[in-house]
Order: sequence, then structure tokens, then C-alpha cells
Amino acid sequence: MEFFDFYRQDRWPHQFCPGCGLGTIMNCLYKAFNDLNIDLNKTVFVSGIGCTGRVPGYINADSLHTTHGRAIAFATGIKLARPDLNVIVISGDGDLFAIGGNHTIHAARRNIDIKVIAVNNANYGLTGGQLAPTTPYNMITTTSPYGHREYPFALAELVAAAGANYVARWTTAHPNQLVKSIKEAMQTKGFSFIEVVSQCPVNFGRRNKMGDPVIHLRWIKEHSMPLTKMTFDVSSPYDIVDINTKGIYIVGDLVKRNRAVYGEIEHEVTVKGPKE
Amino acid sequence: MLTPGRYFLAGNVATAEAALLAGCRFYAGYPITPSSELMEHMAKRMVEENGVFIQMEDELSAISAIIGAAWTGKKAMTATSGPGFSLMQENIGYAAMTETPIVIVDVMRGGPSTGQPTIVAQGDVLQSRFGSHGDYETIVLSPNSVQELFDLTIRAFNLAAMFRNPVIVLSDAELAHMVEKVEVPKSVELIDFNQIEIDMVPSFVPLGYGFRVAVTGLTHNFKGYPITNDVKVHRELVTRLVNKIIKNEPLISDVEIINPDADTIIVSYGIASRAAYPVIRRHKNVGLFRPRTLWPFPESKFKDIVRGKRIITLEMNLRGYAMEVERLGRKYGAVDFKTINIIGGEVPKPSHIEEVL
Amino acid sequence: MYPTINTDYCKGCNLCVEVCPKKVFETGRNITHRGYYAAVVSFKEQCTNFKIPNGGKPLCEICWLTCPEHAIEFKGD
Repeated sequence: MEFFDFYRQDRWPHQFCPGCGLGTIMNCLYKAFNDLNIDLNKTVFVSGIGCTGRVPGYINADSLHTTHGRAIAFATGIKLARPDLNVIVISGDGDLFAIGGNHTIHAARRNIDIKVIAVNNANYGLTGGQLAPTTPYNMITTTSPYGHREYPFALAELVAAAGANYVARWTTAHPNQLVKSIKEAMQTKGFSFIEVVSQCPVNFGRRNKMGDPVIHLRWIKEHSMPLTKMTFDVSSPYDIVDINTKGIYIVGDLVKRNRAVYGEIEHEVTVKGPKE
Repeated sequence: MLTPGRYFLAGNVATAEAALLAGCRFYAGYPITPSSELMEHMAKRMVEENGVFIQMEDELSAISAIIGAAWTGKKAMTATSGPGFSLMQENIGYAAMTETPIVIVDVMRGGPSTGQPTIVAQGDVLQSRFGSHGDYETIVLSPNSVQELFDLTIRAFNLAAMFRNPVIVLSDAELAHMVEKVEVPKSVELIDFNQIEIDMVPSFVPLGYGFRVAVTGLTHNFKGYPITNDVKVHRELVTRLVNKIIKNEPLISDVEIINPDADTIIVSYGIASRAAYPVIRRHKNVGLFRPRTLWPFPESKFKDIVRGKRIITLEMNLRGYAMEVERLGRKYGAVDFKTINIIGGEVPKPSHIEEVL
Repeated sequence: MYPTINTDYCKGCNLCVEVCPKKVFETGRNITHRGYYAAVVSFKEQCTNFKIPNGGKPLCEICWLTCPEHAIEFKGD
């Protein structure tokens, strides 16, 4: 499969800003699909609104660009109606965790067999750089001009707690690992979730002294640490919630497990009524 | 599935059975009074019919899931009531923009807001037509008996497949819980996607068959690629979406007309219209115009009977269908307009009409 | 083979300059027809894949993977 068998050449070049991490993620997606030789005729890409929501429109497969936040709910409908299809959701952090947070955690709870790639650029890029539920503490965005006074969501950990079968976090500074992770997700049955921390130099970086994509990428690299190097300690200074001051993005495969997948659970009565 | 014959069914159950008979094999919903029995019945029956039933986390995802399922070529439906219907509005607009054939059953209850959860009203008449933003059209059906609820639910699936448009069945709390005789016909006419060629309706190409379909709620060209800042593309697309319903109104509209020559015409629909029948029997000079298809407004049938008539609109809301009736009535030469608005949960009685005659 | 930059696609973000472990790329000084300072391949002989014949499987493709515009292609002479 050539690159432009995977992407629609008549829509290239894409609309993303110079240095945007989405291009990197698109390359990784192509490489993973090429390596696994996945049939694009049996693949549906679903996305919500946002910069990331535009990605499936460039992929030469069935694509559904939906309303804001509902990508996972649409994907649920597709997967249940056609269980033989690969259903992949590519959407942003604001779409999947602000307006669509409920759908994401419920899909993870059901453990329905869809793959989710959540691109976390720490702000709402398409609408002009407003704060997102993933904006680190004290960062400046257009709607937090004096610094953000809330703590961000730890997306991967949240989905892991909700019950997904495969959860990983990588960044655009780790493209090779990301390719491996996408392959792993595609081969895992059940709800698979990959959070990709990505740079947004134009709308997020520019307001936080990282307007150069190179500097933003360097910042992401410096603020990420592999899970294998982590020591789990209550007093650990590494905490996702205050990434800006002392925290880091923990990268790696966070969860791999084998919970029963939705639709494949055997109907057994496990709860008995009260004794007479 | 129901075999042909006579049954004694509650409205909600009849709707669910009609949907199954029409080939609906995907139901996603969220429980809400007074539509819950429909969902409960579906939960039981979908497993028996090898369909898919899922209880989603809210109404937003319920309608999203059925749009997703509809795009794989399944006949999909959801049922809800007032507040849930409001939540669904955004995706009804999405379904209209992407031309997705879905069926939504709205069991109307007293509003606004949480209102009267168990009590009948007809407050969603305008919402079912104008609820989402932008220019779009929906097809809205309004039955007045359990038998008609059964028949119109089947027709809703046919219309959705024919016109590639969301179709809304406006049931209400009274009909949903009323138990009446239902006659299941020997043969039911079912229309599949692309079976009938209709002007301005493009053929439906589902996902998952190798056609590499691009679907988007953005303004798109014929390929499905988003083109958002081209005046011509947007104008052509939205005009076609509206016209495919408006211009095909004679094909869609279905009305019951009694005594079209009478001086006074009662315009009523749904459960409220049942008060009109005794009045017509008692008074020779009174006729009935009862649209089974509320939207698009059955203009082609309305215009022939209204010239020089008094029109009384009877409905269970304060501002609803009467606005459109009055607008078109004036256009086609009706002379006098009266409205009877009954809210609070009381079903109109013949005496309500006789007071204003 | 070694990387080449397609100036039709390059938007001059210089991420390739940053990620290449062998420092094959350099920031460009000439403006392209699209108005960007496209990066240039200055030291192609330093590339890990330099000795791999054309069409072979590259050992390192971090620049290709990172380039958001799909402007980098591996080519031989």
C-alpha cells in the first residue's frame, strides 16, 4: 500500500498548520496500517469536531465526520451494526473528553471493540486556542489570559480506570513507538485507547513561548518519561496533574488486559435474588 | 414478529412491533417517561429477532448510535420524549445534512423542561420541524389511534428509506399507554434503500462495502468532501435538501378529510383530533382536516378545501400548528380563524369545540 | 538512498532538522514558491540509509515519520 493509497491524493496537501503534530500521527497511522496490511474496505474512521476531526476526511477509507463530541457514540452504532468492520475513532482531547467525555468513559466501560486515537494538543486548536480539559496548570490560552487555574485530565489513566483493554500514551516525539502502539491497539480485542500528546505551535505554543514547532516538540520530549523508568511511590514528584511545574507525561503501554468484549459476554445469571 | 391478525396492544408496544415488522434491527435509546415501555419491549424483542439493542448513556449518544448504524445500511430507530427530544436536535440536523435515513419516535409529554412527565401534550409540533439550526426539513407523522401508530411507524421507515431523511413519529403519552385493537395486515409494503428513484434524492451508499464513502456534517460537494466557504456549493446543497421534501410534498402528505364542503373546517391532529368526530356527526356544517403528515405541511391537499371557510384549529399546545394553518389559510382564501388550545393534560372534549362553533 | 525534500509540500517547520540523529538536514535560507523556508538536505552521506540501495527498506525513517507534510521521500542517485 502506497502512501496515497491510504490517503486521498485529491485532498492533499492537508490544511494543518506548519509543524502540526497531526501530520506525524497521520504518517504513523499509515505505517501501522501498511505493516499490518489492514483492508481499508473493511475499515471505518470516525471523528468528531476539531483539527483532529478533519484527519479521517483525508484517509481513503469510509469516514464519518460527526457532530461535536459524539464520535464514539457514532462508532458504537457502526460497530454493533457491522461487527466485522474495524472501527477507528480519531479525535481530539476537547472532543473526546470535554463535550464527549461521557461517551468515552461509557464505551470503555462497555469495552466495545473500537480503537480510539485521542490527540492531546492541550487546547482547542481549531477555534483559536481556547483552554481544554487537558491544558496544563498555569498555561496561557485565549480564554485563560492570566494563566489556567484548573488541573488537567489524565486521559489515559481515566480510560484505564473506566475499563479499557488496551491503554497507551505516546507523543509525537516518539513516532516509532506510536506506530508499534497503533499496531498493538489494532490487534487487541476490546476498547483500545491511545493518547498522543501533540504539539500545537500556532495556537498553544505561540502563547506559551513555544511558537517554534521545534521548541514545542522539545518541550514535549523533556516532559515525557517512559513508564518503565517510573518508580511508583506515593510521594513521587511525577504527577500528571501538574505537568507544567514538576510533572511529566508518562508514556508507554499503561494497561493491557483481557476483559470480556461487549457483545461477546456470555449471558449468565450471576446475581441471584433474595432467599425466600 | 406479529403474524397477520387482530391484536390488543398498547401504543408503545404497537410502535415497537411495527418497527420490527418494518425491518428495524437496530435500536439505541435512553429510558424516559412516557416512552420507556417501547424501549423495554425492544430490549426483549430485538434479541429474539437477531437485532441489536443497546441502552446508551444519554439521548445524544442514542441518536448518534442509530445514525452510525443507519450508515451501515441497517434500519435504525430510537424513541424518546420531550427533554430527550430536545437533546437529539443537533443530530437530527446532522442526519438531515448527511441524508441519513433514521426514525425517531417522540412520545410527547407536557413541557417545557421536565414539565409533566406522565401527561399528554402536543408541545413538540414545532420542535419536530424547527428544532435544529439551519435550513432543513423533516418528515413528521402524527397518528391518532394505536392502529394508526402501527401503520405510520411502518410508513416512517419507508419514507426514511425513500427520502434519505430523518422521519419523526409524534406519538404522545395518551396514545403510548392506550390499549386498542390493532389489525396487522396480511402483507406490509416495505420500501428498501434505492428501491424507488425520487427527484433530488441521491442513492444511498452505506459504509463498509468498499465504496470509501466520506460523510460529513460540513457543507460538502457530491464526493462528500467538505467545502465550507464556497457560496455555490452550500446554496445548491441546502436548497436541494429542503426541496427534496418540500417539492415532493404531494408524494409524502397523507390527510383525512371529512365533509370538505362544510362551512367550518376543524384542523386537528393526533390524540386531540379524536374530539372532532362526535362534533362532525352532530353538526352537518362542520368538516375535518386531519393531517397524518404534519410536516411537510400538506399544502396540496389543504388549498383545495379552504376557500371561504371558517377554520378552527384544535391542538394541545398554546402555539403550534395554528400558525402555519393560519398563514396558509389566508394564502388560500379562508375567512375566519379560531384556535382551541388545551394544555395541562386534559384531552380535548367535543364540548370544547362546540363552545366556539 | 537518502532523504529528499519536496518543496511543493514543505512548510518549513524544521522538525526534520530537530529529530534527525545524524544531522542530515539544515534550516533552509531560500524561500519556496509557497512562501516557506523549506529545510534542505545538506549532508546526505551522513544518513543511516545512505548505503542502502534505492527501494530498500530504510533502517531509520524518523524524519519521514515526523514530517507532518509528507514532504520527505527516500531516493537514490
